[in-house]
Amino acid sequence: MNMKRKKFWIKKIEPYCWMAPAFLIFAVFTFIPFIQTIYKSLFIVDSFGNLRQFVGLENYSYIFADEVFLKAIRNTLWYVVLTVPISKILGMLLALLANKRRKTSFLYETSFAVPMAMASSVTAMIFQLLYVPSLGFINGFFGLDVQWLNDPDIAMVSIAIIQIWLSTGYAFIFMLSAVRSVPDDVVESARLDGAGPVRMLLNIYLPLTTPTLFYLIITDITYSMMMMSLVSVLTDGGPNNSTTTIIHYIYKQIVSAGNYTNANPAAIVAFVMTLIATLLGFLWEKKGVHYQ
Amino acid sequence: MKRIIKGGLFIQILCLFLAFIMIFPIFYAVSVSFMEQKAVLASPPNLLPPKVTFENYVTAFTRTTLGRYMINSFVIALVCSISRVLLATMCAFPFAFMEFKGKKLLFMLAVSTMMIPPDVLIVSNYGIISKMGLINTYLGVCSVFLVSAANIFMLRQHFLTFSKSLQEAAYIDGCGNIRFFTNILLPVSRPVLTTVFLSSFVSVWNQYTWPMLVTNRNELRTIQVGITMLKDRESAVFGPVMAGVVIALIPTVLLFVLFQKNIVAGMMSGSVKG
Repeated sequence: MNMKRKKFWIKKIEPYCWMAPAFLIFAVFTFIPFIQTIYKSLFIVDSFGNLRQFVGLENYSYIFADEVFLKAIRNTLWYVVLTVPISKILGMLLALLANKRRKTSFLYETSFAVPMAMASSVTAMIFQLLYVPSLGFINGFFGLDVQWLNDPDIAMVSIAIIQIWLSTGYAFIFMLSAVRSVPDDVVESARLDGAGPVRMLLNIYLPLTTPTLFYLIITDITYSMMMMSLVSVLTDGGPNNSTTTIIHYIYKQIVSAGNYTNANPAAIVAFVMTLIATLLGFLWEKKGVHYQ
Repeated sequence: MKRIIKGGLFIQILCLFLAFIMIFPIFYAVSVSFMEQKAVLASPPNLLPPKVTFENYVTAFTRTTLGRYMINSFVIALVCSISRVLLATMCAFPFAFMEFKGKKLLFMLAVSTMMIPPDVLIVSNYGIISKMGLINTYLGVCSVFLVSAANIFMLRQHFLTFSKSLQEAAYIDGCGNIRFFTNILLPVSRPVLTTVFLSSFVSVWNQYTWPMLVTNRNELRTIQVGITMLKDRESAVFGPVMAGVVIALIPTVLLFVLFQKNIVAGMMSGSVKG
């Protein structure tokens, strides 16, 4: 009897034992910190992270009155608008070009995709060199005189170009498999109907690859909203805060100022922004995505 | 017929040209890493080194702690990838093969962690890590990368494709859960586990924000953070930095080129609804 009972209990708790390590880490580094961030965002917090005084939503009204934070939000949105659509369009076009398997396919397919294996900080260092205003490769080769990273009007665009390079590889590899899974007979019958390349793209390839496109856009929006590495390496938010992003703002608050009172609500704002973007994405999915 | 062949050739040439533009930044970094200092920023700009020198690599390794950065990154990426493979398999196992209370809820919880971008949590996690006294330790850097819900999701999907009969046959042979897990499930799933391992290695190796936040001692920097400190923003000494850049990108780019199919399959499964 006792033996049987013991076995019964072991059987009952066994699944939880298998999952315990993973959930322990989720608890410590995801769930608890998430709740903590929300809770602490309502308090004045000292530089050791201890709660000082409950202030309700005052912290939020404080950061929303902070010119730098507002600029960070604007910059982040501008960055998302610049990077997400262009990298998807480029990825799609490259995928259409590479669609048919040819002799040299493996060469250009790998080259198109390789940026996805690149770290943002390493890439930032390379573009820093390419962007050098006097005698740098880009200005030198094209005979330009652009202050890529020092002109407040251009700096964010220059950083977006780097991100576009990084995400195009990722978009390409996903779009390639999506484009290749479009059934041959659909393509063939459209061709017999005399559809040109543009109509093929708009009427056949685009609608049939929307699930992939949707996935790419959603993940890339959340990813781009969290960007800070390129900024941190290249401009540190400057010139004139023209490249500060939300996460960079948070990072600066913790590291340079020890200011958790501003960092916590800013993190929640960043979270809510990604949440809204994702929800909008799902709404759009209901309307525009065609699953076969 | 002839026109089709010609068209194909034209597209191949176009693609190869675009491929060159795409990998140009990497190509240029490699090229500069072999240039002498005076050739780097010259007018007109040099595409290839006028005179090949290995001086930059010597400088990068002898004058900086690049070697140490590499070791740190290897240890951290290795530990995290092993942990991700192990914890994700262990967690996906009951989700796929057992019935228990709260299964749906726990699965939802695990998947919901994918909705919270890790960068949003850096404030609190930094607090937790510093309270634990883990600032400037390997464990502190690894901590937040030890498990990934995406891997759990992917492995569960994979395990669900196994027929229940595989498990039943094993039980009839008197094989317990642990033996089934180690002797049957793990060996059979080797291709997927390789995929999880490789994509984890690439992604952890490439991390920047978190390793930078929790280390401030030079000996503990990872390569991605260390590389940006080889040069201050104003100096124009790019040769040794590009040598460092090339060394830092070789492991992941090499892994990617060699195992492209594996890594890509891993990233795609579970992402696109069928």
